[in-house]
Amino acid sequence: MASTGAVPFWRAAGMTYITYSNICANLVRNCLKEPHKTEVLSREKVHFSLSKWVDGKAQKPTLRSDDH
Amino acid sequence: MAMAAALRREGKRLAPLISSQQPINTTLRSSLISPEQSSIGGARSISTQIVRNRMKSVKNIQKITKAMKMVAASKLRAVQTRAENSRGLWQPFTALLGDAISIDVKKNVVITVSSDKGLCGGINSTSVKISRALSRLNSGPEKETKYVILGEKAKAQLIRDSKNDIALSLTELQKNPLNYTQISVLADDILKNVEYDALRIVFNKFHSVVQFIPTVSTVLSPEVVEREAETGGRLGELDAYEIEGGETKSEILQNLSEFQFSCVMFNAVLENACSEQGARMSAMDSSSRNAGDMLDRLTLTYNRTRQASITTELIEIISGASALTG
Repeated sequence: MASTGAVPFWRAAGMTYITYSNICANLVRNCLKEPHKTEVLSREKVHFSLSKWVDGKAQKPTLRSDDH
Repeated sequence: MAMAAALRREGKRLAPLISSQQPINTTLRSSLISPEQSSIGGARSISTQIVRNRMKSVKNIQKITKAMKMVAASKLRAVQTRAENSRGLWQPFTALLGDAISIDVKKNVVITVSSDKGLCGGINSTSVKISRALSRLNSGPEKETKYVILGEKAKAQLIRDSKNDIALSLTELQKNPLNYTQISVLADDILKNVEYDALRIVFNKFHSVVQFIPTVSTVLSPEVVEREAETGGRLGELDAYEIEGGETKSEILQNLSEFQFSCVMFNAVLENACSEQGARMSAMDSSSRNAGDMLDRLTLTYNRTRQASITTELIEIISGASALTG
């Protein structure tokens, strides 16, 4: 669970628990030694495209991707 | 990918041939019975060109489907262990918060998990069917159901009759191997873009290579969890737990339900990917077998035709010779 003191702050910043835990997990991953570090960081790649729908029509999709 | 495209092209080219299989066979057979009909233009032998061409293309299709089966099998092995390991993520949540599928709330969001690519049997139609049933089940006055769609295939099916209920669609998930970071970012995006009382995630749970169980996981919003726990509804046991630290119950529940959602999503996406590969494997297996059967039939027709034309020629020669001597 999140540490008691920090919760109101990241909530106020508009973050969800998922974002918060992701940032924490990434911190931990960065603490690893080589060669595990590159392996782990290259595994966790984000890539998907998201489109919102308004009145039965898809809006322009936004791409969430790490690798540009 | 290139293979699938090639297969599709082949399929398109062959579709009229395959669908008109019966007429071709009958014409071949009728020409077998009366070869003189086709020898009007002076050509004595019956052309075996068409059959030979079809045999060649069926053989090519068989090669492609066999290769696709191999690819699916190796992909399945990679994803299967991950899917099975990810089951440990949602089990504690179900133990704590239950899986209240029959809960009656106002804002329902149905999350349909499907694949981006086809040629994988009926798993996508199954998820779409279950999603439709869920949305009908939860419809009523002052209630609303929205769809969040993962994958191209369910989108193509749901766009037909319920495009006004789609809130979000997400595609291109499987460009990189699936991982938790990706799914959690995705879950975060879903949470930020829809309002919900209950999220119902529909996916195909992998059971074995030939068995996929359509499954619904329910994630409740923190408010609903709290209400249910207080009124002693389905989650009455939650109040038996003590909360440590200075946080209020609602804060904890909010964090918990967000994390539960991303964990359940992670498992759902992995299970569905696993089922997809399994279904593709068995679909490609049966289509290779069908191609083999077709090839056998065609070979038989081809040989018969060839034999018939040889017999005709022999008869002609012999009768010609006997006419000269006689």
